[in-house]
Amino acid sequence: MDRRKFIKTGAILTGSIVLGVPRILGKETTFPDLVMVKNGQPAEMARKALDMLGGISRFIAKGDSVLLKPNLSWDHAPEYAATTNPELVAEVVRQCYQAGAKNVIILDNTCNDARRSYDNCKIPELAGKAGAEVRFVRDNQFVDTPIPGGTQLKSWLIHQEVFNCDKLISMPILKHHWVGLTSGFKNMMGLIGGNRGRIHRPYAESIVDLNRVIVPNLTIIDAFRILRRNGPSGGNLKDVEQLSTILAGTDRVLVDAWAAKIFGIDPQTLDYLKLAHSAGMGQIDINKYQPVVYSFKA
Amino acid sequence: MKIKPLTFRKTSQIIFFLLFTLTVFQATYPFKPWLPPELFLWLDPLTAITTQIAGHFFDIVFLLALIVLLSPLVFGRAFCGWVCPLGTVIDGCDHIISPKKPKDYRHFRPIKLIILSAVIILAICGIQYAWLFDPLPILWRSMGVIGMTFLFLIVDTTLNGIITVGIFPDTMLNVQDKLSGYLFPVANPDFGGLIAPLIIFLVILGLSRLSRRFWCRYLCPLGALLGLVARFSPLRRIVDAEKCTACGICKHKCKTDAIEPDFLTTTKSECILCLNCQRDCPTDAITYGWRSPRQMANRIDLSRRAFIGTGITALAGAGLLKINKIDPRRTDRLIRPPGALTEDEFLERCIRCGECVRICATSGKCLQISVLETGLEGFLTPLAQFRRGYCEINCNLCGQICPTKAIQPLNVPEKQKTKMGLAIFLKDRCIPYRLNENCIVCEEHCPTPDKAIKVLSREFIDPVTGQKRTINYPYVEESLCIGCGICENKCPLNGEAGVIVVREGEERLQA
Repeated sequence: MDRRKFIKTGAILTGSIVLGVPRILGKETTFPDLVMVKNGQPAEMARKALDMLGGISRFIAKGDSVLLKPNLSWDHAPEYAATTNPELVAEVVRQCYQAGAKNVIILDNTCNDARRSYDNCKIPELAGKAGAEVRFVRDNQFVDTPIPGGTQLKSWLIHQEVFNCDKLISMPILKHHWVGLTSGFKNMMGLIGGNRGRIHRPYAESIVDLNRVIVPNLTIIDAFRILRRNGPSGGNLKDVEQLSTILAGTDRVLVDAWAAKIFGIDPQTLDYLKLAHSAGMGQIDINKYQPVVYSFKA
Repeated sequence: MKIKPLTFRKTSQIIFFLLFTLTVFQATYPFKPWLPPELFLWLDPLTAITTQIAGHFFDIVFLLALIVLLSPLVFGRAFCGWVCPLGTVIDGCDHIISPKKPKDYRHFRPIKLIILSAVIILAICGIQYAWLFDPLPILWRSMGVIGMTFLFLIVDTTLNGIITVGIFPDTMLNVQDKLSGYLFPVANPDFGGLIAPLIIFLVILGLSRLSRRFWCRYLCPLGALLGLVARFSPLRRIVDAEKCTACGICKHKCKTDAIEPDFLTTTKSECILCLNCQRDCPTDAITYGWRSPRQMANRIDLSRRAFIGTGITALAGAGLLKINKIDPRRTDRLIRPPGALTEDEFLERCIRCGECVRICATSGKCLQISVLETGLEGFLTPLAQFRRGYCEINCNLCGQICPTKAIQPLNVPEKQKTKMGLAIFLKDRCIPYRLNENCIVCEEHCPTPDKAIKVLSREFIDPVTGQKRTINYPYVEESLCIGCGICENKCPLNGEAGVIVVREGEERLQA
């Protein structure tokens, strides 16, 4: 071993100890699985929420390819609360890159025209600046995927990126919808193709079936602005309410249940959540499982 | 080295063709043109004359057409030879398929004058039909609607192929997305009635099989119009009679058969100043120069008898087109673009250029070129077909781009209140009514800020199982519906949707 090689090895060893020890220790301390941050700006709330969960590196490893699924589905500006807050998305993109992600891909199978929605919701603009690869969804990118255990859907067309990526982060916006609300579970409809309207009958079973094969590693719910009425399309500022809240967690049922709670709906009345809970996808009892709450202002 | 005059002509043709192509490429969402897509149509005197006569209106932009209309007073029919992009396309086609020994079709020359008189007489009768023969609208719809669709298909299929094979898939995906950002929609529009305009275009190109520039020589009414003015042009072909050996090469090379059998005389209303004769003259006897217009003014090819015959035929044709007017009871599904004028005014103004259809193809994709749905008089007019697309709530581009304001330019808030029609539920098809199951995809997509599609929740007791369930039955709040058709488009049924848009309650504007 020559001197140069010795120094190099030494440096690498020291570095990995310095960087690695807190990580190993960190694994022993338990981080919460559900957090709620309130009364901040979108970006700072995202940072805080991820910190409280134990840092983005709890979810994203170096070299991961990350698929980020916000809602870009409607041709409305962010103020209309039809699409996920772009600053929130941009912050999560930055965090992913800080954790060493190889790339962060953002896509959504939109309801309005894709180019109009992508332009108007500002996510490609802001998240693009943060380094995300924002892609359009094309018909030839869907893979017919069997759904093991599916009660309504035996297979469906699912976007190939769901299977190509290492990690999936779901970032829905909390909105009114005819079933009550739309949140994390419904967000996965942006990753599927085919005749999507068919999913609606019966809604609860189908949406749960989809979530059997599309499993996010982390769900971050944007309730900075929520859409109270005329969702999910929106279009009227009077229907928008500023809650300045975000929810983040690893249990997608529980996150949606708490989203329902802050929206003002008893999660036990939502068929899809009850079904998801009984299918063993997560917890629905909001009294038993409480989030760790942080509020920016007093 | 001296640049040959012919090089100037070819350069000019290429430049104007590229400009025309640019106007086509710019007719896309996001609509930020630096060269108006309507430019060539505003410059077209035939469009300007017939549309304004038929529609009884004056629009200041059509003063641009005076440039082209009066240009022959100086340059003869140079517009046809140097500018007209359809002429350039035909030239290209001539290179490929024109016959070595063309027959003599000189007796067809008056046809273009007959067509010209006919479309003007029709316009006076209030029927705008010039677009069937007008080269610029023809080329615009051929390139804009058919050409762009094919181009998209070719580019997209190629890129998809490369991605599938795996050659730089990420880069290619980026290329595809960048193209989608600027030029093409993400997915190709689903066009129905392309076959009619395609046939017209292919026939025009195919005519080159008979002789070079057959269309321009014998059929084009715009050429005929410019030819009438060109009779007074001082710029013309001059033959040095002493040098001329009467070899006949010039007559053979002439694109428009404008050279008379003596090889010295030129028919100015035919000559498009292509300069082929000058280039190919073996003794350099031919030049182009200025002479008093008095010399060699040609008589008009159209005899009085033929003109009167044309007039009578055109009037009869006008009657025929009006007879064909369709029964309003059959038109309940024929939805015009938002902001369209009342049907009569709309037909008087619409020049079937296809600009609205093109730009809609990059946005909501509902506008289609109709064939005979609205009768002969409505041939090739735009119709919204909601099973193929829908009207985007925030899009007003068809009205922005219409060169004759047959679709009035509305701003977005105005357009969002303009009713294209009314959605009605077909309860024999709609899933909640027919099967007593929840669906409500239409309600979900309904874009009006206060949703026009509302739901009524009712208990339903399954007669077989006796189970109770709550079903949301959709209905339309008439005062809120703008007939954008997204409900019909997104309805998950195959075939006819459970909710359709009808003309009832449509708002048509007055000019």
